[in-house]
Amino acid sequence: MTALRQEPDPPVDDLDVRFRAGDDVALREAYDRYGRAVFHLATSMLANRSDAEDVTQATFVAAWLGRDTFDPAKGSLIGWLLGIGRRKVIDRMRASARETRVVETVRQLPEPAPAGPDPDRVVDRLVIADELARLPDDQRRMLELAFYDDLTHQQIATVTGVPLGTVKSHIRRGMASLKRRWEVDGAAPGPRPAGLSGTR
Amino acid sequence: MQHLDHDRLVFLALGESEADNGESTHLGTCALCRAEMATLAQVAGLGAETQGLADLPDPPEHVWQSIAAQVRAAEAEPSRAEAGPQQVPGQAVGTLTEQTSGTTAGQATGTTTAEATGTTAGQATGTTAGQVTGTTAGQVTGTTAERPVTRLDSARRSRRGSGWSRWAATAVTAAAAAAVGVLGTVSVLRPDDPAPAPTQVVVASAPLAAYGSTPPTAKGDARVLRDGQLHLHVANLPRVPGYYEVWLINPATMEMFSVGTLGGGSDALLPLPPNVDLASYSVVDVSAEQYDNNTRHSGDSLLRGTLTG
Repeated sequence: MTALRQEPDPPVDDLDVRFRAGDDVALREAYDRYGRAVFHLATSMLANRSDAEDVTQATFVAAWLGRDTFDPAKGSLIGWLLGIGRRKVIDRMRASARETRVVETVRQLPEPAPAGPDPDRVVDRLVIADELARLPDDQRRMLELAFYDDLTHQQIATVTGVPLGTVKSHIRRGMASLKRRWEVDGAAPGPRPAGLSGTR
Repeated sequence: MQHLDHDRLVFLALGESEADNGESTHLGTCALCRAEMATLAQVAGLGAETQGLADLPDPPEHVWQSIAAQVRAAEAEPSRAEAGPQQVPGQAVGTLTEQTSGTTAGQATGTTTAEATGTTAGQATGTTAGQVTGTTAGQVTGTTAERPVTRLDSARRSRRGSGWSRWAATAVTAAAAAAVGVLGTVSVLRPDDPAPAPTQVVVASAPLAAYGSTPPTAKGDARVLRDGQLHLHVANLPRVPGYYEVWLINPATMEMFSVGTLGGGSDALLPLPPNVDLASYSVVDVSAEQYDNNTRHSGDSLLRGTLTG
């Protein structure tokens, strides 16, 4: 039954592997696909736009030159890139804090440090957004109705005309995929119970 | 013990319904179901925050250009080093000189030097200001060879641990060649030589942002080049009655020293002391100074930024 509804297989996505292997165009492809996410992470955390651009650039350069250390079996490319970006953002924030202290001393003029969002949270969001985009259309559509429009299962069934049982199963599967992905690629995943992971 | 149905956990995690009495009792005693529900609730919370993330703006185009340039420079590096034996000394020297004199900054800085005569930085700057002699190149190269490794892109370090020693060896060779050049036995510059000028490798960089009351459009970039020079690019600095001075500051001790002065151009190449510890002196600061016979920092910082590898 499930097999019948499946879309034809999408083209094999081997960017992770090609990136690892140093394929010439893989860096550009990775940047086209994930540059926006890394840049979003940087701009969310750093008040100074040129800092954010610098961090984005440094992340991709470091990732490419250090691609030997990327293991596609242990997580996704975007998760790995965001991990590098997150460290570089934190380095930059610490540097700015130090520099603020210096200039305060030099000028005797305190400048309040802006309190930004939690970098782990931003990374987690981007990982979940990436997984959401990879879900089958039906699952993504129902989850978006639940997340963004705050609709109940019943309301989703009404809005979409899809039977309640099918809505439930899409949402359950979609949630399970998001959770698995978060546990693999998230910056700070929560508790990982041994017995109840995935769908039942 | 009968665990809660997974659909129910998803319902509860999405906040779609309240746990009934029996479910609350079970959740109160079953750590597994409680943890699963908490995880699902976190995922649902993150999911609700993803709105708009599917349609993020692109980073500016120059970010990609910098990535491509840095990657090219880093990847060209081993082949250059390995070509050591074939490298004609004159080429090495010529290359360095090209890099030094190739920017308008050299000229601009030279102009400033005349005004700021007497400062150490000014003298050093004068040396690099585009003089195409074997001596100049030798000094620049020697500086690089002796410079301690303070900051290097960590990825490069991890990937090619031996990269530094290899290029250092090349630099030493080039320095020796430059010394020979002083004796006049080697043609220092060979303009018809097709050797391309390689992109300078940046070992540390800092975006410079306007500080305090400086107009926010003022900005810049500081890049430490592998040949031991500090390349400064500045834009929209406010006009000042005196001149601009560049400092490196150690944020741990608040100690600082002057690296030199900026000319009228938007770029400047300033030589760094060969033994400077950039891990300590990590803050780049551009100040407005007066001709007031006071060599200390005026306290009027216009731009600042912290070097990171």
